[in-house]
Amino acid sequence: MGEVVRSSAKPPAAIEAAGSAPQQYLTFTLGGEMFAVAILNVKEILEYGAVTEIPMMPNFIRGVINLRGAVVPVIDLSCRFGGKPTVEGRRTCIVIIEINDGEITQDIGVIVDAVSEVLEIATGEIEPPPSFGTRIRTDFISGMGKVNGKFVIMLDVTKVLSVEEIATLSQVGDSSASEAP
Amino acid sequence: MDELTSVFIQEGREQLQTMETGLLELEQNPDDRDNINGIFRAAHTIKGASGVIECGFIESFMHKVENVLDRLRNNEISVSADLTGLLLRCCDHLGLLMDVLENGSKEPEDEAKTNGNALQSELAAYTSNAGSPTPPGQVIEAESEVHASGGGVVDTDSWHISVRFGPDVLRGGMDPLSFLHFLASLGEIVALETIPDAIPSAAEMDPESCYLGFEIRLQTRSSKADIERVFDFCRDDCELHILPPNSKVSEYQKLIKELPEDDMRLGEILVRCGALTQTELEEGLLSQKQADQPVSPQNQDASPLQQPLGEILVDHKVVRKEVVDAAVSKQTQISEKKAVEARLIRVQADKLDQLIDLVGELVIAGASTNLLATRSRQSDLIESTSILTRLVENIRDSALQLRMVQIGETFNRFNRVVRDVSREIGKEIDLVITGAETELDKTVVEKIGDPLMHLVRNSMDHGIEAADIREEKGKPRRGRVELKAYHDSGSIVIEVIDDGGGLPRNKILAKAIDRGLVQPGQSLSDQEIINLIWEPGFSTAEQVTNLSGRGVGMDVVRRNIQSLRGNCEVSSTEGEGTTFTIRLPLTLAIIDGFLVGVGKSAYVIPLDMVIECIELKENTADRDFLNLRGEVLPFVRLREMFEMSGTRPPRENIVVVQYAGQKAGIVVDHLMGEFQTVIKPLSSIFRHLRGIGGSTILGSGEVALILDVHALIQRNADLGAREHNFSRPDTTDFNA
Repeated sequence: MGEVVRSSAKPPAAIEAAGSAPQQYLTFTLGGEMFAVAILNVKEILEYGAVTEIPMMPNFIRGVINLRGAVVPVIDLSCRFGGKPTVEGRRTCIVIIEINDGEITQDIGVIVDAVSEVLEIATGEIEPPPSFGTRIRTDFISGMGKVNGKFVIMLDVTKVLSVEEIATLSQVGDSSASEAP
Repeated sequence: MDELTSVFIQEGREQLQTMETGLLELEQNPDDRDNINGIFRAAHTIKGASGVIECGFIESFMHKVENVLDRLRNNEISVSADLTGLLLRCCDHLGLLMDVLENGSKEPEDEAKTNGNALQSELAAYTSNAGSPTPPGQVIEAESEVHASGGGVVDTDSWHISVRFGPDVLRGGMDPLSFLHFLASLGEIVALETIPDAIPSAAEMDPESCYLGFEIRLQTRSSKADIERVFDFCRDDCELHILPPNSKVSEYQKLIKELPEDDMRLGEILVRCGALTQTELEEGLLSQKQADQPVSPQNQDASPLQQPLGEILVDHKVVRKEVVDAAVSKQTQISEKKAVEARLIRVQADKLDQLIDLVGELVIAGASTNLLATRSRQSDLIESTSILTRLVENIRDSALQLRMVQIGETFNRFNRVVRDVSREIGKEIDLVITGAETELDKTVVEKIGDPLMHLVRNSMDHGIEAADIREEKGKPRRGRVELKAYHDSGSIVIEVIDDGGGLPRNKILAKAIDRGLVQPGQSLSDQEIINLIWEPGFSTAEQVTNLSGRGVGMDVVRRNIQSLRGNCEVSSTEGEGTTFTIRLPLTLAIIDGFLVGVGKSAYVIPLDMVIECIELKENTADRDFLNLRGEVLPFVRLREMFEMSGTRPPRENIVVVQYAGQKAGIVVDHLMGEFQTVIKPLSSIFRHLRGIGGSTILGSGEVALILDVHALIQRNADLGAREHNFSRPDTTDFNA
């Protein structure tokens, strides 16, 4: 499992303290759309591979991988947004994102089509999310960043990868798939 | 918090535990002298240690407690339920004070202070009334264990203490001054002389060494043993001589001879601190030149603590041989006990966790080496890796053994709980503990306390009936709650058994219908009704008591136990009692697993549950049970259950597993053999997943899932019952 990029892992709490100075974002593509996440949430980026499937889980939970001895769940972001499962290609990556959920810090991997670059986006260049039209739940979006005249969807990872919500969804997925009362 | 304080808190809590256990025991056997002495020793050790760390509020409180215990020990007051109750409350308060100290506060909160004062005044009632009150400062005859044995008696009413601290005392974290402070708490220090003679010249002096000695005159009502105990912490490092009041001159002579300082100089010091008069000294020094003086037999019950003295006394036929022997054997016992204690090492729990983690990594790395060796087909390499594997297995087992603790300590806490609660609710209840020596992982022990507490309280509150009702039903008046632990096929089983009224099925059902958990017309088996108590928000207590009955209980208990990869069951016979059975894995870290494959995925089944593996015959394609040597063996097909793609291989295998007395089969594609499994917890995302207990990392670096056999089979049983819509064939099967 080749490691492509590895950023220094800092607690996501640092983001709030950053203020109005331009922040760095990791941009990636998914189903032709450009997305961005704050770089401080990103722990590392791995080449896609060796995902162990977990049975009886909704399809947006792809499985788990071995991240140097720790078992980390992997989410198919495209499925999570209600789209089709990601087909793995040459540039498919797993981005390991650190989630600070209350007191517990967790690592979760997300599958993306391709990682693009690390960009600085000034606070002034960020528009509020539109109320509809992105085909993604609005609460997943923290803002729309303007980069080279194009919009980049900036994700709120704590919402997208909410452990609480995913756990509930997986329970529903399980019972609807097999228990059907 | 400094190290000394944390050691004090740790040891103090242990002593507190001893004290509490002793007090509970005392209620049963009020005449057990050894026990009373044990309680006193524990209290005294806490007091002494708190003096050493200069924690005034604990010291003064314990002083009061000790006074009462002292009177108890001397038969001046008798054991009563009120007294033990009061002392137990004192234990609670002390625990509270230790919390205060642990949190780094200088003083307890006002509320705690008020409480402490209330307890102290209650204690005072026991010290002042009854018996002949003795003014402090006067020596109680019964207490001084060493009596003067004749000869010219030195005219003094004080104890004389000579102490020479060893050079390593300061390095050991002891401050001689604090011992003196503490000594002062026993009574009044009349005179104190510092002996600086051992201090070498400045060039040779080591600032970290202690060179001081003290000659102390102490007026106290405490016994010699008490005074000795003051110096307990540095006993091995210091030279200590204690002379009781009114000792004879020859005792002082002996002291002078034994101490390292020059006789004359020492004599002067003794005179100066008022232990001897000048005439006595001269007299003594004169007679010293003569041969051993015969001493007249006066007091036979002396218990000489220094052996040479004992021998001398025997030589002169002052003391009978047996008395000395007894004293000597007592000494030996004490030193043996110390040796046992010394064989234990206190280790920080996180260091141990780190070790276990490393061993886990070692196991995984070993598995990967093994895999490579097998692939290389070099027999030498394979042989050497197999030796390595065996060693790693041994290391793993010993490392895990380090974390194993007996459950007894957790169980014993319930003695107190049962006592208090049964008084509070006015029922007579005995607690019976069996299997206290059963060992299980420390992490499990720590987390099992709360669920157990809930179950025990529930049993006492809802289970056991009031004494009158019990008598009406022809049961013994005293109710009985039993805590039982034992090992069973790779898991530990803890049972909470009561002989109370059992679970009332009608009430449970009515309540469940009331709460909308069950539809009115639904027919449920008895076991299904009983299992309703695990539903969230369920409580049958008609009145909410402060013990249980808030209805937050049983589902929380179950969740806590499930979070330890365990499960709990309940069985109950109405009118006869209820049994809660908790099954827990022995360890949370590493297990022996059996690796199986389905399609491309690998799964681990805990090896302790595997009984045998057989080949699945073709003719069972349309049914899910087979004939295993005359037994019906139901099985689950993992491929179907996990909805995996791909076709079945021509030959499938069945792994026969046993769990909680039930056998079942699991159909898999391949059998891959034994595998040391380091359990890696799955993310909390998967907490609702039933059937998978965790994950592990294979030698190849891939992740394999660990099957939770119990949940898997139960899930299948539930599904079967629902799909076919008939009542479960045997509801006691696979029901949690």
